[in-house]
Amino acid sequence: MAEPSASSRPDAGSSGANAPEVWFFCLRLLGGRYAFEAHLVTEVVRLGPLTRLPAAPSFLPGVFTHRGEVLPVLDIGQLVGQPAVPIRANTRAALVTCGPWKVAVVSEAAEGLVAIPRRLLERAPGESSGVAEFLTAVGRDKQGPVAILDLPRLVEAARARAVPAGGSGS
Amino acid sequence: MSETSDILLFQVGLRIFATRVRDAVRIGSVRDVPADSIILDSSLGRPHSRERGIVVATPDEQQERTLVIDEVLGVRTVHEDELRPLPPFAAACLPGGAVTGFVLLDEAPMPLVDLPTVVRQRLARPTPRI
Repeated sequence: MAEPSASSRPDAGSSGANAPEVWFFCLRLLGGRYAFEAHLVTEVVRLGPLTRLPAAPSFLPGVFTHRGEVLPVLDIGQLVGQPAVPIRANTRAALVTCGPWKVAVVSEAAEGLVAIPRRLLERAPGESSGVAEFLTAVGRDKQGPVAILDLPRLVEAARARAVPAGGSGS
Repeated sequence: MSETSDILLFQVGLRIFATRVRDAVRIGSVRDVPADSIILDSSLGRPHSRERGIVVATPDEQQERTLVIDEVLGVRTVHEDELRPLPPFAAACLPGGAVTGFVLLDEAPMPLVDLPTVVRQRLARPTPRI
């Protein structure tokens, strides 16, 4: 079994270095289970009505207010060339902080914290397209398989991809 | 006491925007405006009608341009605490400066747009204006 990658190691997550399991935060997206370092998540919220932004890239479907703060929504599906995550009245989003960026990651459902036995974490296949580009490991718990995302890298990639998308500015 | 700003609310298509009143030279009919001064479609979207416009002065253009809109919804005086900055991630993903922040209206964020920048960006695009 391959060594878990940096983001799935306990010192980067929410478990002790010698703990037999690693804690992640799990969302349902793109018809599957995707998780990332639990400490990145500050809250799970129900999305309010979105305000769309002019000339925004497709993965930024809008903003909403939460306790008086305006927060941008990140649609991972649109970022990786998949259909948009449907946004309905009961849609949940995980508020995450990745370095300077605070975003609401929209999901089909928020599963919450999951503990994955370290021995069941394997290095992700080295693919460079779609969501696989941002996977660091794959694991399994009682609910089934879960893909581990490098969320900070994904958010940074979104920001970088938006620059050429802005183009002439409209 | 907090400072206040006068905000003009207007609609383009189905979307509502806000701008600082000082960005609008005047509001009027588009009918008599020369075609080369009209901005019909911009990053704010394409209006359903071609009857009303906001006249915008662009300092580097030395010419007024009329941004066509669907409707003026009114002017509101808002307190500074009703204004919100553009979140850093959104600012990093949006092309240069057309949206400067938000006005909270009934807790809903209305994009606060810089009209001279909207016009400038539109003029920089190679496609015909009409």
